[in-house]
Amino acid sequence: MSGADLTLSAVTIAFGGRRILDVERLTLRAATAVVLTGDNGAGKSTLLRIAAGLLRPQTGLLRDDQRTLAWPAAAAVLRRAVVYVHQTPYMFDRSVSENIAYGLRQRGMPRHRIRERVGEALAWTGLEALAESNARTLSGGERQRVALARARVLRPRLLLLDEPTSSLDREARERARFLIRAMLAEGVGVIATSHETGFSIRTGEQRLHLHHGAIVPAPDPPADDRDDARGTAMRQDRPHGA
Amino acid sequence: MAELLQATAAALSLLFSADPVLWHIVGLSFSVTLRAVVFSAPFAILVAFALALGRFRGRRTLISTFNALMSLPAVVVGLSVYLVLSRSGPLGSLGLLFTQPAMVIAQAILIFPLLVAMAHGALQGAERRAWETALTLGASRRRAMLTLLHEVRFGITAALIAGFGRAISEVGCSLMVGGNIRGYTRNIPTAIALETSKGEFAQGIALGLVLLLLALALNLSLGLVQGKGELR
Repeated sequence: MSGADLTLSAVTIAFGGRRILDVERLTLRAATAVVLTGDNGAGKSTLLRIAAGLLRPQTGLLRDDQRTLAWPAAAAVLRRAVVYVHQTPYMFDRSVSENIAYGLRQRGMPRHRIRERVGEALAWTGLEALAESNARTLSGGERQRVALARARVLRPRLLLLDEPTSSLDREARERARFLIRAMLAEGVGVIATSHETGFSIRTGEQRLHLHHGAIVPAPDPPADDRDDARGTAMRQDRPHGA
Repeated sequence: MAELLQATAAALSLLFSADPVLWHIVGLSFSVTLRAVVFSAPFAILVAFALALGRFRGRRTLISTFNALMSLPAVVVGLSVYLVLSRSGPLGSLGLLFTQPAMVIAQAILIFPLLVAMAHGALQGAERRAWETALTLGASRRRAMLTLLHEVRFGITAALIAGFGRAISEVGCSLMVGGNIRGYTRNIPTAIALETSKGEFAQGIALGLVLLLLALALNLSLGLVQGKGELR
């Protein structure tokens, strides 16, 4: 789960002549937490989808270890390193177990090892009783846990979460946060977006704000988040930003 | 009225007497239409994927065009394929006119827009999230496409059933490019047209009943398939 930093630079994208994103430089780092806040339409999902290798920016480079790559080569590297989780995670029309096994099967892992990992993941999320239920029948909180388990079994370097708790009730929020923290402790880098400025994953997280497509320091960070400058998973080298 | 009843009684006895000519026509209809669907569907599904996932200029116009072409007149397709395959046409040298392959080609073209439009509708229902989820979990584009197809399997099945139903009941294409040759290109609709024009209503009614039952069965299965694909 560890690995060199991934640095995106000069990432821009425009839709219909309007510039949606203009990020000069940001670094994605393992085992660190970043909260990226911003209003709806600020470009948060667009940025995450580019960082996940799902959307091709108009300009942009990726530095991985000693290599500098342009798209589409960058997308291939990002897709191997990163798992992206939608605000409302998509559940394949199959059982919970099969949803969790999906990515492992794509990697051609032997069946007995897939079974092992899925079993572990079900226990980790407390979803054992629902293993054979169709994932589409689950509640929002359960779906979020399936999505996290489905990501974790792949042991990604980085997990990108789009508004991970915004559609969950209080209890489901806490459970999701607990699992996200566990993944952080295992060495996965986490970037989570939120339109709520008070959203937090854990103390000591890096807080950034997206404003009109550019990353700026978070406008009013909660007091307990100010002091950890080392836990930077995403570094924006342009503090004047917008 | 008496004549109609007589013809219907004769038709029923034909149906239940395992009349070889009648059942050969039914078998031929099935065989030609099945081949048309098998031939048309992979291309139609690929086009539907391009329309659902691609971002290119003219995409919306293409979608509207395929929707409009769902009601493509069979006789126009028949005429076009006839002109292309006739001796003086660009593919005349292949000698396909008045053969089963010509009927397969014409029916495949006829149902192509319907298959594209319905498959596109089904894929659109699956949303971009399904595609992105497959990719972010490590699927190649080809595997992600197969995953998406599995997700919309009820919609795709509905498209195939609708395409089959449209092709097996059309008369225009088959008559023009098949030529209604007994034992070779005579299918249910062309046989009905011929028998009726000869005043031989019994076989026409018998084949009509087969077609009617088939249409009912197809629509019933379509309803069942679409019911399974409902939102959860």
